Amino acid sequence: MTRDLRMRWLTPALALLLAVGLSACNSFAPNTIFGAHSEFGHSVDVLTRRLLYMGIVVFILVETLLLVILVKFRHHEGNVEARQFHGNSTLEIGWTLIPAVILAFIAVPTIRTIFKTQAKAIPGALQVDVIGHQWWWEFRYPQYGVVTANELYLPVGRTANFALTTKDVLHSFWVPKLNGKRDLISNHTNYIWFTPDSAYAWNGFCAEYCGTSHANMRFKVFTVTPAEFDAWIAHQKTNAVGSAPPAPAIAADSGKSAGATTTASAGAKGATPANAKAAPAAVTTPVLNVSDTTSATYPRSQLPEWVKPKTPTPAALTFDQSATGDVTRGATLFKTAPCIACHSVRGVPTAAGIIGPNLTHVGSRTTIAGGLYPNDLRHLQLWIKNAPAMKPGSLMPLFGKTEKGDTPGVYTDQQIADLAAYLSSLK
Amino acid sequence: MATTVSLPETPHREPSHRYDTGVWSWLATTDHKRIGQLYLYTSVLWFLIGGIEAAIIRAQLYNPNQHLVTAQTYNELFTMHGTTMIFLVVMPLSAAFFNFLIPLQIGARDVAFPRLNAFSYWVFLFGGLFMNFSWFLHAAPNAGWFGYAPLTTRPFSPGLNIDFWVIGLQILGVSSLAAGFNFITTIINMRAPGMHFMRMPIFSWMAFVTQFLIILAFPIITVAVTFLMLDRFFGTNFYEISAGADPLLWQHLFWLFGHPEVYILILPAFGLVSEVLPVFSRKPLFGYPVMVYSGILIAFLGFGVWAHHMFAVGMGPIADSFFSITTMLIAIPTGVKIFNWLGTMWGGSLRFTTAMKFAIGLVAFFTIGGISGVMHSSPPSDLQQTDSYFIVAHFHYVLFGGSMMGLFAGLYFFYPKITGRLMNEKLGSWHFWLTAIGMNLTFFPMHFLGLDGMPRRISTYDAGQGWEKNNHLATYGAAIIVIATLFFVYNWLSSLKRGAVAGNDPWGGATLEWTIPSPPPDYNFAKVPRVTSRYPLWDRTSPQLTVDVPHDKEDEQKMDVTIAGQSAGTAPAPADTELNAPNAHPSARELGIVMPTPTVKPLLAALTLGTVFIGLIWHKNLPLMFIGAALFVLSLYSWLLTPLEPEHH
Repeated sequence: MTRDLRMRWLTPALALLLAVGLSACNSFAPNTIFGAHSEFGHSVDVLTRRLLYMGIVVFILVETLLLVILVKFRHHEGNVEARQFHGNSTLEIGWTLIPAVILAFIAVPTIRTIFKTQAKAIPGALQVDVIGHQWWWEFRYPQYGVVTANELYLPVGRTANFALTTKDVLHSFWVPKLNGKRDLISNHTNYIWFTPDSAYAWNGFCAEYCGTSHANMRFKVFTVTPAEFDAWIAHQKTNAVGSAPPAPAIAADSGKSAGATTTASAGAKGATPANAKAAPAAVTTPVLNVSDTTSATYPRSQLPEWVKPKTPTPAALTFDQSATGDVTRGATLFKTAPCIACHSVRGVPTAAGIIGPNLTHVGSRTTIAGGLYPNDLRHLQLWIKNAPAMKPGSLMPLFGKTEKGDTPGVYTDQQIADLAAYLSSLK
Repeated sequence: MATTVSLPETPHREPSHRYDTGVWSWLATTDHKRIGQLYLYTSVLWFLIGGIEAAIIRAQLYNPNQHLVTAQTYNELFTMHGTTMIFLVVMPLSAAFFNFLIPLQIGARDVAFPRLNAFSYWVFLFGGLFMNFSWFLHAAPNAGWFGYAPLTTRPFSPGLNIDFWVIGLQILGVSSLAAGFNFITTIINMRAPGMHFMRMPIFSWMAFVTQFLIILAFPIITVAVTFLMLDRFFGTNFYEISAGADPLLWQHLFWLFGHPEVYILILPAFGLVSEVLPVFSRKPLFGYPVMVYSGILIAFLGFGVWAHHMFAVGMGPIADSFFSITTMLIAIPTGVKIFNWLGTMWGGSLRFTTAMKFAIGLVAFFTIGGISGVMHSSPPSDLQQTDSYFIVAHFHYVLFGGSMMGLFAGLYFFYPKITGRLMNEKLGSWHFWLTAIGMNLTFFPMHFLGLDGMPRRISTYDAGQGWEKNNHLATYGAAIIVIATLFFVYNWLSSLKRGAVAGNDPWGGATLEWTIPSPPPDYNFAKVPRVTSRYPLWDRTSPQLTVDVPHDKEDEQKMDVTIAGQSAGTAPAPADTELNAPNAHPSARELGIVMPTPTVKPLLAALTLGTVFIGLIWHKNLPLMFIGAALFVLSLYSWLLTPLEPEHH
């Protein structure tokens, strides 16, 4: 009888355990907060682990005690009336004091870490202005006069101090592998700083609900060696180039950096990690092809899979495949196109809009639309043709003549192909 | 004196009078038990609606880059899911128990203000319908249940969506405040003779504490929402950032309400579980005074922790440290409650009824939510957890694993008192196990999603982020909860007609509500009992359980044991015919008990008040608003000029 009773408990109880256990075995976690790659992240990591392990111990103790009670004191036929007691002062004082002591062990390092991570950033830190927009990120490097969007380059080993503001509603700046969140508050400037300790590519997210496309407000962070960072800055400071890119660029930089890695491996400790959980790349390992100024950016061939957007394009949105873009035609069109009302391109005097992302080197970025789509001709074309269909709530209107939406479109697929070709050439 | 407790033992039905059945009797009712049932049915209905919203959310997130619903609809769904579950499910479900139980537990015949009570319900019903009506206009609220400014201001949300949310919250606030004052007055003034505060059943205690939280916290949200309403409708600049407003004003006001609100949601469930565990352990509650004091302490500290929702806004190290420490402190009385429940069961004779399973479920699962809560009491750690799925996991363990488990325990426990019949235990067991498995399968993986960097409130996510598997699991879990809920609904409905007849005291209860018939007569107690200990019924049915519990000094012999010689729980169920026997029990009139006259005046007042708000949202229709206001004043006069009770003879 009692045996049957116990067996009836067992199946659902095991199912419950299985439910909880299943979720734990997740081997692939490119955005995990553990094993962070900055000194800010390390401090938080240590604290979080302490909290987690203490929590697990308390969890096991309480749940085990509960299970013991449930088994030991279950009612069965003919058992005597319960032993009666309705309180025990010693016990109750004990289980008030013990949690208090445990909490003290959490409180002390907590306060210490609060003051450590919120101290003023060291002088000489790299200044980055982060400006939130619905639904994309603007990054400015005031020390260098560089403005870019949705992709952040940071030198390894140098503290980066971020000044966070927003043009509209609240957002939150979060790169799980590098830093905790800091909100972007209207009419406020917030700060957060950290020092990346390894070179790689990371995902960033908006972590404060900001309206329709909150889910689609992502960004990428590339941590590179100081030399590579300098090269990237030097390139970003130049005016828009607007020429066709060298065709074999991808093959070339993958070959070159593979060579560089081999050369460096004699002195360096490691290579580019195969996944985020592996050891970080040594700081000295060159990642970028610094000698080629037309592509002083993170080489696309070495992008880890998880920073490459995989968002499918809307099925209803198509593009005339026969339309081949012409850079020169596109450049001419762009100068007077509605684009310039919102977008800037340094070197094109008419293009000085400040509402949308700065496009001076848009061709050098790996993604468009707030990290939602990969930056290639096909996606650029579709984006220009009908941005609101590509990204819900997009403040960029549609431009395709054949598209239907809140505003009428003005361009044929051929014109859009020209524009896309021109923008792609802005390396 | 022992003999003063003479309570009706014969089960019976409510006496028939002209308001007994039919729609009118419900519209005009001032009976706290009927109003409690109205709250109950309404909030269970909204539980199903909020559950459907959750199911669609989980279906959307099953796969990456999936668009079952648009981003806009998704945002409406998660906003309405949160708003519904908090304001239209957990709060009114708790209110259902406040209404039904407080007078029964404290030995009163009704609440202090029966007509105000009816008004509270009708206003609540109207507020819920109002907010959900937005779905039909394709303008459901879409800025989250927290409605952060400036997203909620007119420039960023020009549509009706936020108007529905703002006005809906105002309406629901009226209902909660009216009910809060009503219950406080009831508990202070209407306890039976001898029921000192420290003899009051623990559920009534937690309800009492909750009412103070409500009357102190709701004015704050009312102010916050009024500012927003003025901004949206009349062009003020409380949150208007283009005029230099500080959006943190909203956050501080909202969370100064919002955190006590968390305890408004959980304390009633704690109270219910503290009633269920002792009965099915056959032991008094372990450490009753500590349970009372810890409840008060939690409520008090609950007002000093609000900014732990805002560690990412950059308040500076001093504020972060302060709110971190207060948050850690609140874990202590909460932990004490867990240990005291374990102490209650220790050494007991545990009977695993469905109610008991859900109560144990609260102890087991709320603990998980409590531990993850301590994890984000540490601001540096919280910066990695806040606004990620880790938080979603945390508060669902608190609100589903805690509040809902406790409320389900209460539903199974008090269903026989409400309806006179027992729910089916076998179906109940299915309901419990499927809910427990489904809940853990839904929310436990969310811990890992959050730690793996998945932000919350996102309508979709990209492939290849390592989030697929745990999102699959969470969606499977949600499907299991849906199935579990079908068991619950079927059990509920079928037991109304086919459930076993309950009798006065089907569980071997300890408190006054189990001394009277199920369902209780409209006057509750034929003779108001005199109470001599915390467990008046156990004193009679199982005096061996209460030997240790303090009693009145003059009452050494305690209750008359011979009246109810049978031990609790084994009392023979009365035959169905006996239950249905007509006039088995005297009516209030025959007993000379004066009860409030049924009246629709509170309903009229609620409707006319609603008219004002309809006028506001209907393109700010000032004539309609003034007509509504005038009619509201008139209906109040008419209400106040109607005598509460019939003439005494």
